Amino acid sequence: MNDGEILVEGVQGSNDVKGGDDVPVMNSNAQICLQQLLRVWLGFERDLSTVPLLRRLDLGTYTVEDHLCLLRNLRQQVIEGSRWITRTASSFDRHHAEIRSTVIAHAVDEHRDYELLEKDYVASGGRLEDILGMERNVGSEALHGFLMYRASRNNPVDLLGAMWIIEGLGEKMARSWAERIHELTGLGEDSTRFMTYHGHNDSEHMQRFYRTLDEVCVDEVTTKAIVKTAQVVARLYRLQLEELNHDLE
Amino acid sequence: MSVYITSTGVFLPGPPISNGEVEGILGMVNGQPSSLRVQIQHANKIQTRHYAINADQQTTHSNTEMASSAAEQCLDRAYLDRQGVGLLAVASTQGDLPAPGMASMVQANLGLPAIEILTTHGICSSSMMALKAAYNSLRVGDHDAAVVVSSELSSRLLKKQRYEAATESTFAAKRIDFNTEFLRWMLSDGAGALLLQSTPAPKGYSLRIDWVRGFSHAHALPTCMSVGSAGHPGDERTWQDYDTYADAERAGALLLRQEVRLLDNIIRMGVDGYLRLVQEGVSEPAKIDHFLCHYSSHHFRSKILEMLDAAGVGIPEDRWWTNLYTRGNTGAASLFIMIDEFLRTDEVTIKEGDCILCFVPESGRFNTTYMQLTVVKQ
Repeated sequence: MNDGEILVEGVQGSNDVKGGDDVPVMNSNAQICLQQLLRVWLGFERDLSTVPLLRRLDLGTYTVEDHLCLLRNLRQQVIEGSRWITRTASSFDRHHAEIRSTVIAHAVDEHRDYELLEKDYVASGGRLEDILGMERNVGSEALHGFLMYRASRNNPVDLLGAMWIIEGLGEKMARSWAERIHELTGLGEDSTRFMTYHGHNDSEHMQRFYRTLDEVCVDEVTTKAIVKTAQVVARLYRLQLEELNHDLE
Repeated sequence: MSVYITSTGVFLPGPPISNGEVEGILGMVNGQPSSLRVQIQHANKIQTRHYAINADQQTTHSNTEMASSAAEQCLDRAYLDRQGVGLLAVASTQGDLPAPGMASMVQANLGLPAIEILTTHGICSSSMMALKAAYNSLRVGDHDAAVVVSSELSSRLLKKQRYEAATESTFAAKRIDFNTEFLRWMLSDGAGALLLQSTPAPKGYSLRIDWVRGFSHAHALPTCMSVGSAGHPGDERTWQDYDTYADAERAGALLLRQEVRLLDNIIRMGVDGYLRLVQEGVSEPAKIDHFLCHYSSHHFRSKILEMLDAAGVGIPEDRWWTNLYTRGNTGAASLFIMIDEFLRTDEVTIKEGDCILCFVPESGRFNTTYMQLTVVKQ
């Protein structure tokens, strides 16, 4: 989802522009699902601009205090993230071994990411006990509750929609938040390691995602379920970010 | 009722200006060459463009004159007596006069008597706003023929004197102020005109307008391209809030700005609008023979194109066509200048029944507009 950057060399990095050489051929249900997931993502990304704290990134008024608030609030979601992913893996039966492998690999990759966040918090001038003592905010409660509920159902393929949003946001943080945060706050790279860590292996992730989507999204019912879950996760994730402000108040 | 584009006209002022000559026209700010010009020109890949100012930064053609010249050519090529024109719609980012509307001035130049007029205000997409209003006025039967003109004279905003006068601006304060220089090496001047009629032209190809649609995202996204603000975070003042216009100019509130960091949103929202139209069944990607885009494919990173391909709705790059590289980025005028040349160029073979998708994104506050045309012959 690292998309649509205007090419200005030296400002936003230069990129080789080429047509799709390795464009996967997916079944038509998976194609329609991808079209709809793209729309859910684009709407989510646009609406993030209305979240007050993220608006300040756009308008250039983001502060160190904002950054600490963001990290404090993200930690619980990241901790819970590893739980719903492992729960998801265990909910797939042997007929879904392929997707289960993918999910397990994903869980291994990320299940201790919150430790990075804690280090970033301290490097940004925060006190470790403050981030450790932070409770889930209202949005994190809703997001976590929904994800654990869906993950507990048999063969929860709809959670591909959740991964689409959460992975996409990880890439967005790496691509457009981290550098901007340094610019506006004067904080160093050690304040955003959690964000930049997620920018790696981008195209490999996408290829894997396309393969999985083609494999599991073979009818209209599944398409609808994946898209619906993506919509709910997008909305609840934004709620979580909107609730950051209540922490500041 | 169907509506057809039956004639087109263009006016590009002066000779084509190469990359190396641009700074000789716009002028070196405080006698110093720009450190960003080469980089920005390299990125936008424009090779030649036209300016309605000379090397002394004196205006050679007014915006009204350019618009009128394009309209004259369009009407000269038409199978229609001028008396048959019922509506004149004119679009520009900034007319010669802040008031009245530019359509009044263009009408006066053209001498079209007692017609209905419309001026649309915006940036690139103002052309589509004018076009859609004209299209609808023909559809409801108010008129049988309308001239739609779009004209831009941005070089007056980009000449060295504007930057030299902004002594207390971000441009003066920073060693490199990308946001105020980005458009200086991007935009240029020109005008395009289309004649809309309720019947196709008796000879040659006409373009039936199938639909015109737009999606604006100003409710969610911040301002990205603007004139009127000094560009300081938290400073809400706009140019008329300063005590004098001279104060506003000194503060840099009259400079044209692009928040380069926010620009990716226009590509994203462009794709979003396209997917909306596909999902509504309004646009069928497989049927698109030609894609005329105000941005070129090189502006889109490979990834989003790959995703559209993977989703089965990509438009193959050999169907993209633009004259941006040789005529320059003329903002609102670009699409009309593009349609005019597209109908005449040998680079593309056009045949009856061909489907053309046009896309004009506006980064101002993220308005994306689309139009589908079908090639017809009477």
